[in-house]
Amino acid sequence: MCKGISILKARLKQELFEQYELSQRIVTRGAGAQEEVHFMYPGAPPIELPVLHDGQLVIYEWGNRNNKACKLPNTGWCRIESLEAGKWRWLSPEKVVIPADFGLEKSVWFQINEGMEGVLVHDEQLRPHVYMMTQPASHYYQTMTRHDRMPILVGQEI
Amino acid sequence: MIGHVDADCFYVSAERVRFPHLRSMPVGVLGNHGACIIAKSYEMKAAGVSTGMPIWDATPICPQAVYVKRDFRWYEALSRRMLALVQEVSPRVEFYSIDEQFFAALEPTDGFARQLQNNLLTRVGVPVSIGIAPTKTLAKLISDSSKPFGYGVVADDRQRRALLHNRPVTDITGIAKRSAMHLAAHGIETCDQFARADRAFIRWLLTKRGEDLWWELNGTPVIPVQAVRPKHKFVSRGGSIGRASCDPARVQAFVVRNVERLVEALMHYKVCCDQLTLSLSFTDRPERSLRSSLLGSRADFEALLEAALHLLPQVWQPSSAAVHYMHVIAGCLRPLAHRQMSLFEQPQLHDVKHRINNAVGRFALRSGSTLPLVDVYGDAANEYDICDIYGKSCF
Repeated sequence: MCKGISILKARLKQELFEQYELSQRIVTRGAGAQEEVHFMYPGAPPIELPVLHDGQLVIYEWGNRNNKACKLPNTGWCRIESLEAGKWRWLSPEKVVIPADFGLEKSVWFQINEGMEGVLVHDEQLRPHVYMMTQPASHYYQTMTRHDRMPILVGQEI
Repeated sequence: MIGHVDADCFYVSAERVRFPHLRSMPVGVLGNHGACIIAKSYEMKAAGVSTGMPIWDATPICPQAVYVKRDFRWYEALSRRMLALVQEVSPRVEFYSIDEQFFAALEPTDGFARQLQNNLLTRVGVPVSIGIAPTKTLAKLISDSSKPFGYGVVADDRQRRALLHNRPVTDITGIAKRSAMHLAAHGIETCDQFARADRAFIRWLLTKRGEDLWWELNGTPVIPVQAVRPKHKFVSRGGSIGRASCDPARVQAFVVRNVERLVEALMHYKVCCDQLTLSLSFTDRPERSLRSSLLGSRADFEALLEAALHLLPQVWQPSSAAVHYMHVIAGCLRPLAHRQMSLFEQPQLHDVKHRINNAVGRFALRSGSTLPLVDVYGDAANEYDICDIYGKSCF
């Protein structure tokens, strides 16, 4: 799976930092390295993800974490098998791209070239939520992260 | 004078060419199975991670590191760009390894080295270290000791002695742990001690190879820059088979795969072989290998596979041993054009396979015996990418 992503700070518009208080998510991996913004699941609430939606880079809530009042699936991930089996049809899911430069699974940060696929759904209050889509892990990804599921990367195979 | 160009942490630098945001952060390139670090950035090295370390050992040491899947095709493309640029400034260049070149240095100055270094950085994107000296061994010693992104010229005896002073003999390419132990037993532990030692004694201790290094360290060139790769004595294909296996079908499938790779290589070099050796390494037993003489000089898949499969049960002893690495080695090589054909030879299936794979893609048509290797061929993300780069003079 992928329990966190990182995106270069330079890719995010300034207004997003103010609107979503992103400055507290900024990290760097070394002197001289570009600043990044981390989005973790679970992380300090609210749990969010950057999303490319209608040509705009926006921030949406990442899945549904323990909000029992909400009828959305109580997870942050959507299995492609369940999506294709029609189990998400009642939510009218829309495919989106989650832009990312690095992904995190079991303490392993790995390179992401463009981003990963996600599905966008809306809750009862019509608030948008994004779920990260997953597929069975490749042999390589499984060895690298020791997880049997992996995100669906855009234009990239690991 | 001879120059030596050595890319700094080449695989990582190559990744930074296409992903510049990887600069200034700890980066590890993972090998064919996604388990071991085959190259690391200087930031990762500073954190204590070593090459060959499994990722699960490295992550606690350097939790902020980023891991990248290897891409040998990209590394080869950049390597050839480096080679082409060095060929612009020198009439004789040796493609020594994927990240190193030796060249005849027409202008042995600091200014030339600095300019070449800047050209490689701006036009290829890869930082390199450069050494220029009267011999290959000294030039390589300079670039190795100038890393990262350094350069140096040894133009006179004073500079040569300064380079060798108190430097461990193991810094010399060609002096590995075993030779160093022999030398240490006679009180020779540094390069300057090695260079000052009696030549005949060094030859006695380390054979001609050691004597060549002695001449080179003393500034007399005896190892030439080889613009054309010397003819092969052997051609070998193999490597790790992933998780060690006792499964006969899987091990045999890897033999078949490596014979297919070997045939590709023989065709590329336009040679055939009189002998075939199969070598197996086991997890908990000594390596074993056996050689078979072929009926005439052969380079075709059918003959080589028959020989390899004949050797397999004899080399794989006991059959309960878990195979970890294997190599299929063609020996007694001859030019393919000089081969005496048998009266009974038929047009080979290989020719058809070769044409199809050239048109469609490598391994598109392959032996059905490789079907058990689902993780190799069935997983597009894996492919067990192979660093089969032709034309290098080293490995």
